Amino acid sequence: MLRNTRSEALVAFILIAPFVAIYGLVFIYPLVKLFIISFTDAPLIGDGTYVGVENYTRLVGDRKFNTSFWNTAYFVLLTVVPGTLVAFGIALGVNRLSGRIQALVLSLFFLPYILPVSVVYYIWDWTLNLQFGVAMHVFDLFGIPRVPVFKSTTWFMPAVAVVTIWWTAGFSILLFLAGLRAIPVEIYEAAALDNAGIWSAFRRITWPLMWPITALVLTIQLILQLKIFDQVYLFSIGGRVNDNLVMVYYIFQRAFQSDQGGRAAAIAVVLFFMVIIVSVLNFQLTRLSGGRNR
Amino acid sequence: MPRLMTLAKCMALAAGLFASAAHAEETVVWWDFLSGGDGVRMKQLLSDFNAQHQGKIKIDATTLEWGTPFYAKVQTSAAVGEAPDMMTYHASRLPLAVKQGVVQEITADDWKTMGITKDDYATATWDAVTVDGKQYAVPFDTHPIVLYYNKDILKKAGLLTDDGKPKGMESRQAFTDTLKALKAAGVKFPLGSVTADGNFMFRTVYSLMGQQDGELMTDGKFLVGDNAKKLENSLAVLQEWTKEGLQSTYTDYPATVALFTSGEAAMMINGVWEVPTMTDLKKDGKLFEWGAVELPVIFNHPSTYADSHTFAIPANKGKDMTPEKRAAVLEVISWMDKNSLFWATAGHIPAYGPVTATAEYKAMQPNATYSVLTSNMIFDPKSPLAGIAGPMFDVMSNFFVPTLNGEMEPAKAVEEIKAGLDDL
Repeated sequence: MLRNTRSEALVAFILIAPFVAIYGLVFIYPLVKLFIISFTDAPLIGDGTYVGVENYTRLVGDRKFNTSFWNTAYFVLLTVVPGTLVAFGIALGVNRLSGRIQALVLSLFFLPYILPVSVVYYIWDWTLNLQFGVAMHVFDLFGIPRVPVFKSTTWFMPAVAVVTIWWTAGFSILLFLAGLRAIPVEIYEAAALDNAGIWSAFRRITWPLMWPITALVLTIQLILQLKIFDQVYLFSIGGRVNDNLVMVYYIFQRAFQSDQGGRAAAIAVVLFFMVIIVSVLNFQLTRLSGGRNR
Repeated sequence: MPRLMTLAKCMALAAGLFASAAHAEETVVWWDFLSGGDGVRMKQLLSDFNAQHQGKIKIDATTLEWGTPFYAKVQTSAAVGEAPDMMTYHASRLPLAVKQGVVQEITADDWKTMGITKDDYATATWDAVTVDGKQYAVPFDTHPIVLYYNKDILKKAGLLTDDGKPKGMESRQAFTDTLKALKAAGVKFPLGSVTADGNFMFRTVYSLMGQQDGELMTDGKFLVGDNAKKLENSLAVLQEWTKEGLQSTYTDYPATVALFTSGEAAMMINGVWEVPTMTDLKKDGKLFEWGAVELPVIFNHPSTYADSHTFAIPANKGKDMTPEKRAAVLEVISWMDKNSLFWATAGHIPAYGPVTATAEYKAMQPNATYSVLTSNMIFDPKSPLAGIAGPMFDVMSNFFVPTLNGEMEPAKAVEEIKAGLDDL
């Protein structure tokens, strides 16, 4: 049968047109607009006049930008790799269980993931409340002095990182579990016949075969955590916002609190490029090291 | 086909009915941010209004999150014509609102329609809603902060005067001594302070500055001259109380109220809006004898920070309000002001003069005790940078938590605040 490539292309175009249209409208157009605004002194709403690269040059000496940049980096460090490892570990454990027990344990780990961020915030804010928090009574029990976890600069980021891992691990666990189930049992049987112990089976079979999934989880986590905002915002209400700033928070502050759309846009552009560079870098690196393993 | 026709007829009929009903009854979409004990009172007022105006005006009210979320939402929704018909607004935020073009002017005709004049308000309150000679909102109340105290504990410690007020309200030394005496009497927290929330503490710090005639902004410049020193003094006294263990540390807002109502804290500085919480608990027999008085004089003379809840009409872009709708909105506003005696049970001081002049208001407790402070109230500086959850407020409140909990020296905090403000 002869193929009519022309009409196939037409069909293809019709099929992807809705997506392209929506993508253009809600992604490409705002993106272009963002770049334009970042060169103006626009308020939150309305247009501004052209100011050149002033919004960008100001960022160099901006202490708040500095704080937000390093806090974001610190948060990524605290969550991406540890979060992935925790999820992998839990997935390995869950995979050893079977039947209803497995379903129960899995759902227990997955439950936090379905909670909205505000609920997560309330649960932890009350747990760690200095006067009335349950955790503080545990501290008392062991004679450890109480710590105002979300009000001290030292503990803030680590605490939010722990909460975030607790909250989002469920999804990564599912991905890892799917990967683990895809490894044929025969491979392990063959390994067992060759007298491989648990450790060498893990190192030589599970780990390399799971690498693509690990790379995927790492990339997802990385992009997600670079854009961290809601937890940090909620946990710092009324507190030490300046010390806890992360990049999206700083964008929010400039745009919504200081009514400086142009300056906010410039930070958003910087973050946009950071996410692109870091995720491409991450993808390339994981691909390379994955190739060596195989 | 016939069935389809019947359906169409039914729908047309229903639409017709709906349209005529809509003509008879004006729905006023209302946004507020009153979610505490005062929010409960407001719901009562709203349902009273709806009951009295059945078939004519119906208020469709929504309560939103206080502070930055509320004002950001108002600004963005007005820009696309999706703002409500009316909303509550802090008087301190009006200069910023006018600059952003978020609110409509309340014209002379509007005031006439409402039957309210300038003379019905205190001068300071009227000024608070006036920007460049025009009014942009209708004042509803003023809400200062006060000192709540536990009469039972103070009495036992011998710290109550004959007329039932706390001793040591006249100077820094005297008040600190009172706190120390409470500590010595075994009270865990002589003063419950919202030390984990810089937003709240802005009010206390600004009051203490006012007691030294301090100004945050002079001719558009921040903390000019010895005003920086005055801010430092205010922070220093609060930090001193922390260091001597006289006030609770890292306490957030709900925890502060809980510390006070559970009797662990003997005194508490908080807004008048917590009066309903106390009244309701007392009514249920779950609270000790309590009182509320003006803040102690720590520096030169009494002074209390206050703001005013007002009603404003959003400037919805590309969407003109019909005259009928505007009339309905004005009716709502004027009814609320004229019936604000009930609002006084929420602790707030009604802005509408004829209400506060009534004998009923004057007999109301503890309102009557603290209402003397109205003569010492100070408002935010008049600037688009000022106001609740505004840029200035934000910069300053950021440094209050570390300072008040003893992590940062007051002088250092003032330096940082000044740098932050100048960066605006």
